[in-house]
Amino acid sequence: MGDRRRSRRLAAVLVVTGLACATAACGAGSDSAGGDPNTLEVWTRSNPDSAATYERVFDAFTKKTGIKIDYQPVVNFDQQLQSRASTKDLPDVMINDTALMGSYQSQGLLKAIDPDAIEGHDQIAAKSWSSTVGIDGKHYGIPYSRQAMTLMIRKDWLRKLGLQAPTTWQEMLSVAKAFATRDPDGDGKADTYGMVVPGSAQNGYVAWWGAGFLWQGGTNIVEPDGKGTYKPDMDSPAAVNTVTWMKDNLFCGDNAVTQPGALTAVTSTATNFQDGNAGMYMTGPYNIVTFDQALGKDAYEVVPAPAGPAGGDALAEGENIYFGAKTGKAKQEQALAAFLVSAEGQKLAMTGGNQPVVRIPVNSTLDAATVHDDARWSVVQKAYEDASRQFPNAPDFAPIKQDTADSLNAIFTYCEGDVRSQLKELNETLAGDLKDQDLLK
Amino acid sequence: MTATVTTPAARGGRRLTKKSVVPWLFLAPGLLLALVFKFWPMAKGVWLSFFDVRPFLGDQWIGLDNYTRVLTDHRFQEAIGHTLVLGIGQSLGAILLGFVLALLLEGQARSLKFVRTAVFLPAVTATAVVGELWRLMYYPTSDGLINSGLNLFGLGPVQFLDNPDLALWSTMAMGIWIWAPYNMVIIMAGLAGVDRSLYEAAAMDGVSLRQRLRYVTLPAIRPALSIVLTLAAIRGLRVFTEVYVLTGGGPAGSTEVWMTRAYTLGFTRNDIGGASAASVVLLCVTLLLTVTVNNFRKRGDVR
Repeated sequence: MGDRRRSRRLAAVLVVTGLACATAACGAGSDSAGGDPNTLEVWTRSNPDSAATYERVFDAFTKKTGIKIDYQPVVNFDQQLQSRASTKDLPDVMINDTALMGSYQSQGLLKAIDPDAIEGHDQIAAKSWSSTVGIDGKHYGIPYSRQAMTLMIRKDWLRKLGLQAPTTWQEMLSVAKAFATRDPDGDGKADTYGMVVPGSAQNGYVAWWGAGFLWQGGTNIVEPDGKGTYKPDMDSPAAVNTVTWMKDNLFCGDNAVTQPGALTAVTSTATNFQDGNAGMYMTGPYNIVTFDQALGKDAYEVVPAPAGPAGGDALAEGENIYFGAKTGKAKQEQALAAFLVSAEGQKLAMTGGNQPVVRIPVNSTLDAATVHDDARWSVVQKAYEDASRQFPNAPDFAPIKQDTADSLNAIFTYCEGDVRSQLKELNETLAGDLKDQDLLK
Repeated sequence: MTATVTTPAARGGRRLTKKSVVPWLFLAPGLLLALVFKFWPMAKGVWLSFFDVRPFLGDQWIGLDNYTRVLTDHRFQEAIGHTLVLGIGQSLGAILLGFVLALLLEGQARSLKFVRTAVFLPAVTATAVVGELWRLMYYPTSDGLINSGLNLFGLGPVQFLDNPDLALWSTMAMGIWIWAPYNMVIIMAGLAGVDRSLYEAAAMDGVSLRQRLRYVTLPAIRPALSIVLTLAAIRGLRVFTEVYVLTGGGPAGSTEVWMTRAYTLGFTRNDIGGASAASVVLLCVTLLLTVTVNNFRKRGDVR
């Protein structure tokens, strides 16, 4: 009896020590990868399909240089990054949206970059480099991929209804109405919609989708004054006119111009275009592969964004390569960046059957349509080069985008509301956001 | 939990005997895990709520600024209102429906077992999946399940999630659907303990169904109901997943609740300090509510 009790105690002690060790080991394990100077931890915001493309690129890099890559595709990137930042242990290299640079930099998450230290930096256009300059004049990112939003439109529907692809807002609206009411899929039912809108305020989607409209209507969300400060511009007459036009025609006008549920839709739930029941979608070219698979190459075409009263500038965006602060592997990180922006690295990322992770190459020796072997990409490239604008990269744009999205979503939801006073309120909120960053003019 | 732990140690005298150490050793794994994964992060959250959090630039002490900012933010105040409506409606609805289900499905028959299992399924399904399911059911055209049903009566289509006046109620309906079976199980356990002779006596006295519920069943399942109420009070306030997967707080913030607002603050606006402050306030309110519910329960028990 005494023996059994003793052995039980021994067992208990063993279990406890074992658990304690395991917990301690767990804690230590997470930064063990950070110790090996020849392994880089790389994060991208990718779903499994685009992650497969990145994996191919990183494999080629490892083969070439012997530097190993601990690759982590992360879907909810910013949430994960915040948790990692709180442990003061960042990934070595991150590839993520251009619009987030100001936000990361303001939190001190990024290492400043000297373009000259990146081999092949001269093959990147000056326009692209200028988009990675932070608030203090230093570079905080290396351009990796660029794109502009274009309009995806059902070619077969246009043909059936005897219509042309729209080039202006008015034409776009009448095409949308025709798609919604004239039964373009010929099944005798009123089950088609004009266009797809990810109109939710979640993650700022509606501001992201609507930015092009605002520029085309002659307004800017925040207007730079050229001296490093900004002024909110959402209460100008142009802003009121543009937002009123969008509200009256796209959200509060005839039914079915936009898909049902547009105001709570995010991109992952706004699948009506690929499901074949909506005729237009203003979106980025990364969807081309998805749409080709779902609808077929011949079913739709890619055209420039229809122009508004003040022109046809669409949203340009893309991905930058960022170096995490305080990682101490500058040489290896620079080698990886040099490979990623080289003609070889960019080509690998644009081809290979999975979703391309480089859309418009930043490497000026490459041509998008040639590498993708698809003429539609030249439409995107032309849109990016000639008729596109980015969100300002220097300020922390996240709160500005979120507040704009909250306001637009509310305006489009309450059809009886007064746009002018709602936008005035938004303008004050934006001024507050800029003031928080000491950027208000 | 701690109360039951300290008693044997205290009884064993103040000396550090083997007898007093062993229970602690057995508890150590659990305590260690709780410390690492629960109490430490919680303490850190409270600590961060007093800072402007910038891990790589050095956190800045700003005292109660985060709290004033959060509590005076009109979107947060709206969110608190929505949380209360959603929390109370969802909890009461789920308890009522759970009670009705428990009464209907109590018994030993094999068919009842099958139905009970079927009814319990929502409680064990991932909320994200349930949310996606309800998005489809709520689909705002006559293709949607519910709208096609309404269509038969010549009604609809109803914009369940896109109408800001309806979205919160639609979310509530889903919440009731998820939590009712959970309550059902607890209430059913309470029902199983009701003395059958009381029913027989009541039947002999010729009581109506309503009287039987009021004077026999309800008093007998008091303990079960108080557990259900306590759980609901805690759960109701920290509702997040249901809203996040169904509407994301929209449209026009009409379903924004406490936790979705805190989440937006923390992870979209990178304001970890503000999000921590919001969570701490929620913690305090939940604590207060739990203590109050427990107090009422104890007072009732004494009576």
